[in-house]
Amino acid sequence: MSEITQILQAVGRGDRRASEELLPLVYDELRRHAAARMAREAAGQTLQPTALVHEAWMRLVGEGDRTWQNRAHFFGAAAEAMRRILIENARRKSRLKHGGDQVRLDLDQLELAATTPDEKILLIDEALERLRTQDPEKAQVVVLKFFGGYTNQEVAANLGVTERTIERHWAYAKTWLFQSIRDQK
Amino acid sequence: MNLATQREEDLFVAAQQLTDPAARRAFLDRNCAGDPVLRAKIDGLLAAAADADTFFTESASALSFPVESIPSPRIAPASVDAIPANLSIEEPIGTRIGRYKLLERIGEGGCGVVYMAEQEEPVRRRVALKIIKLGMETKSVIARFEAERQALALMDHPNIARVFDAGATERGSPYFVMELVRGVRITEYCDQNRLNIRQRLDLFVQICHAIQHAHQKGVIHRDIKPSNIMIALQDGLPVPKVIDFGIAKATEARLADRPLLTADAQLIGTPAYMSPEQAEMSGLDIDTRSDIYSLGVLIYELLTGKTPFDAKELLKSGLDEMRRTLREREPPRPSVRLSALQRPDLAKTAESRQVEPARLMSLLHGDLDWIVMKTLEKDRTRRYETANGLALDIQRYLSNEPIMARPPSRLYRLGKLVRRNRVVFAAAGAVAIALVAGMGTSTWLFLKERDARHRAVAAEQQESRLRHEAEVRERITQAALLVSQERYDSADNLLRNTSLTQQTVEGAAVFRSVGEWHALHDRWQQAADRFGQLLHVNQLDGVDVSTLDYLRCGPALVEVGDTNGYERFRQEAIARFIVAPSPFADRIAKISLLLPGDRRLIESLGPVAEATAKSLAEADANGDGFTAAWRSVSLALWEFRRGNYPKAKEWCQRCLAYPEYNAPRTATARVILAMSCQQLGQADQARTELAAGREPIESRFKGRMDSGTPVQGFWFDWAFARILLREATTLIEVSARPK
Repeated sequence: MSEITQILQAVGRGDRRASEELLPLVYDELRRHAAARMAREAAGQTLQPTALVHEAWMRLVGEGDRTWQNRAHFFGAAAEAMRRILIENARRKSRLKHGGDQVRLDLDQLELAATTPDEKILLIDEALERLRTQDPEKAQVVVLKFFGGYTNQEVAANLGVTERTIERHWAYAKTWLFQSIRDQK
Repeated sequence: MNLATQREEDLFVAAQQLTDPAARRAFLDRNCAGDPVLRAKIDGLLAAAADADTFFTESASALSFPVESIPSPRIAPASVDAIPANLSIEEPIGTRIGRYKLLERIGEGGCGVVYMAEQEEPVRRRVALKIIKLGMETKSVIARFEAERQALALMDHPNIARVFDAGATERGSPYFVMELVRGVRITEYCDQNRLNIRQRLDLFVQICHAIQHAHQKGVIHRDIKPSNIMIALQDGLPVPKVIDFGIAKATEARLADRPLLTADAQLIGTPAYMSPEQAEMSGLDIDTRSDIYSLGVLIYELLTGKTPFDAKELLKSGLDEMRRTLREREPPRPSVRLSALQRPDLAKTAESRQVEPARLMSLLHGDLDWIVMKTLEKDRTRRYETANGLALDIQRYLSNEPIMARPPSRLYRLGKLVRRNRVVFAAAGAVAIALVAGMGTSTWLFLKERDARHRAVAAEQQESRLRHEAEVRERITQAALLVSQERYDSADNLLRNTSLTQQTVEGAAVFRSVGEWHALHDRWQQAADRFGQLLHVNQLDGVDVSTLDYLRCGPALVEVGDTNGYERFRQEAIARFIVAPSPFADRIAKISLLLPGDRRLIESLGPVAEATAKSLAEADANGDGFTAAWRSVSLALWEFRRGNYPKAKEWCQRCLAYPEYNAPRTATARVILAMSCQQLGQADQARTELAAGREPIESRFKGRMDSGTPVQGFWFDWAFARILLREATTLIEVSARPK
């Protein structure tokens, strides 16, 4: 049994420590995998997070271990890992834009109307942490949909609710986050 | 979950759906009364919603990895596993495809991905854009779609999602642009909202009308399945929307040419919903009836929660086996499918239909079973001709009228009549029942007589006789009603001591049904009693008697061990039918020869045998193997009883040579053949034939009996075979044992 399957099963059993181990493992795998794909693709292509996650899933977990619970845990962790990778990426690109030797990007200085996409997702990421303290379930929907790139169907299956619920949470969360970002200015 | 934010979300979402500003204000006034903070929050959210959408859409391009920007570690390509070839790189959000801008990914199917997109010109609106990724020849897909475009443009129905456009992406994949339907798929909607059977059928009827509309425009859907039927909410009411019209035909490829599964084990196409002729792909023109089959699968699933054939099972067995299953295997009736479920599964299914498990099964049993099975006929000429025809039958069911799918019996129609007029029947009492059911003139007379009560004694006497008859008839009607509700034991109680002095067809039907019910449960004494009453009723007015009723009664008498009764029975039967030859006289021969008899009795059947032989010759000439086979087995039995064993053997072998299949008849022929061989000293062959005949009879009686069909064999044919089997066993195994 692969290492990751063991961890997934442990997570399923409620093993707290296993949950903590899962994320770094998935994160490593995704970064490595993305880099490997990069090395093979022609320049000018873009890789989508959801494709990377699917590929990683199939590579890491064997035929028989693709239970829906394992899948749910994996994809949840993968979305979170993807978030981190994307944010790192965005940070790096922004830093480059604002002068390479700036250690920390000052988001407060940004003019909302003039933000680049990378800066936008940094703002969203920050606001997301605020949302998480208020309503972790809706925040999770954002992580899965926005950073993970999953469809409503997949998110619904992962969280065990209906697609309609996901649509509603998403509609509300987007607006909440935007308002929160705007209010910070 | 945070209650405060959830409340905000509920109000926000609900208010957004109210497009009329006045209605929205009123809604918020009502729901935020006394809470200005909440009201301000909601107003703020509503105002910011559009900008929020834009903000998120604009950020989308940062959510992907342009090649060359991911930082270390870099790994040498050789150490990375190969990625399965058919996983494709997807469209990034924000891309423009033709005049559409992709906003959000909203769904995924076996053959592509669906996005929400914004159309800019000629009109600004949100649409659904489906990109097909099947590695197909894009030009031909587009071309096929163009061929249908005219017809699709003519479709205009509230329950059909329009398909607007088609094209090719830069990367060469075909895409379709459709009306954006916000909703959930029908099976989910029904389960989540726990719709009961009636409500589900109502939705289904609307879908039938939509399909009918399309068929009339010459468009066949070809891919009807739950994921293609969405339920959207309009003004709080569920509205079905059929989506993906025209796409299946355009993207059609031979199943054999492409893999059935994507790398992630997603199904391409839904074999569970494919009609037998679609699965065949034999070049037979797929016509509108293929859609009707798929509708049958849909209604099956809405009623039972399962498809007729399990999708995974179909795929597991491979393409050829799958085709064979769809083409040849009879799926279980919906009520039977339910009865085979595990208890928790059944409980869940019933729960989501707001009904008790037992009640659910009885609801489906009968008419709904018939309707669904007719829609699922392998032979498409036997399905409903049109989607409207199907809808009409369902509507008839819902109004308690007789449905087309079921061969009507008088009792069935009577039952429907009663249910339709429940109020009338309950309130008006016996007289009304008698009148409505058309029981005849005597009741009317009874009424008249009742008014003339102060007449002479003779009149009084007649009155009491009529009243008695009316009471009896009331009991019969009551029993008929109970039978139609399948409450056989209550009906039986009413019939127990009833004897009619007037012939009624309803009476006959009731005695017959209850008698059969007893026979099916091996309660032969009671069965014999009811059948006796049945025959008595039949004889009252010299009405042409059904020979089948004799076939029912005979085995009952033998099984119960009433040899005298049986003897009287067959004498009577013979006497009756020698005089007036009927086309089914051979049945009388058969039923009279269940037990051995004296020479005189058997010879008295001579004319019957002659008529049977003649009928057999005719049947042979007409190529009617079914009739001929039955005739030969009757003749075989007759010759056997006469002691003419070689002839009996001959007739048996002839019967067995006919290809037209009927299990009990074949078993009977083998048993008679076995006995004939034994009498001729051919012990080995006798034992072989006996074993061959015994096996189907014993397995039939092991399982639960139902009344049967002409092909499977009616129960009384099986009962007949069983009685002969017992005789043969005694002859061959018991008597022949060395002492």
